[in-house]
Amino acid sequence: MPPTKTRPRLTLHSQSVPAQLGQLESLCNLVDLGARSSGFDDRTSYACQLAVCEAAENIILHGYRKKGGDIRVTTRSRPGELTVDIVDTAPPFNPTMLPPEEGWALTDPPVGGRGILIMRRVMDEIQYRRRGNRNILRMRKRVRPSKS
Amino acid sequence: MEIKSQVYKRVVAVTVTGRVDSGTAGDLEKALSALANEAHNNIVLDLSGVEFLSSSGLRVLVTTLKGVRKVGGDVRLAQPSQRAIDAINLAGLDVLFKVFPDRESAIASY
Repeated sequence: MPPTKTRPRLTLHSQSVPAQLGQLESLCNLVDLGARSSGFDDRTSYACQLAVCEAAENIILHGYRKKGGDIRVTTRSRPGELTVDIVDTAPPFNPTMLPPEEGWALTDPPVGGRGILIMRRVMDEIQYRRRGNRNILRMRKRVRPSKS
Repeated sequence: MEIKSQVYKRVVAVTVTGRVDSGTAGDLEKALSALANEAHNNIVLDLSGVEFLSSSGLRVLVTTLKGVRKVGGDVRLAQPSQRAIDAINLAGLDVLFKVFPDRESAIASY
């Protein structure tokens, strides 16, 4: 009998919250749950929380412009891989189209623009889609299992 | 988030604990700008108790740094938590701040 290939188990977590800055911690807790389900260590989980928090902050401040709405975050965990979908109904905003970081001098450091840099540095993939009236941002993080 | 400050002869030490994100960064900005307005331009930020530091918090650190450097001051970091270090490094700001292993050496550096 040929060996059967079993796909690694998928664990789902999902939460919808009002688009308010006070909800960011709750979203971070959800990402932590997803990251742990993927077998990530504390530092990798924290990095993923930072990236998702930056994306959610952007949606609240620049998407909804503090006018209200909802944000749904869904995590899909497989061993060594975490996929996070962030869905909102704010006007179209594609963070992947923001220009790459320019060089800067120590005498004049940039005040803003750090959030998108954190997202790019943490995540292996960032994809944006607009479907109907929804923005869908998908971020994926992979960690190779240690050989020990 | 909790902010405590202690004024020394030439330095003010500010201890920040908890979560610094866009929901709390405004409070940190107010506290630091109040100190700068009182001519406390040599600042030590004790970040040993920081549990989360988003770009909003980093923006406050950079804004404060730029402000006090204009008048010959500085913002120096004391014993930042691993989470604070990770956020600063990911944001590419590690070259900007002088980091000290403990509060005393950061204060003595001025």
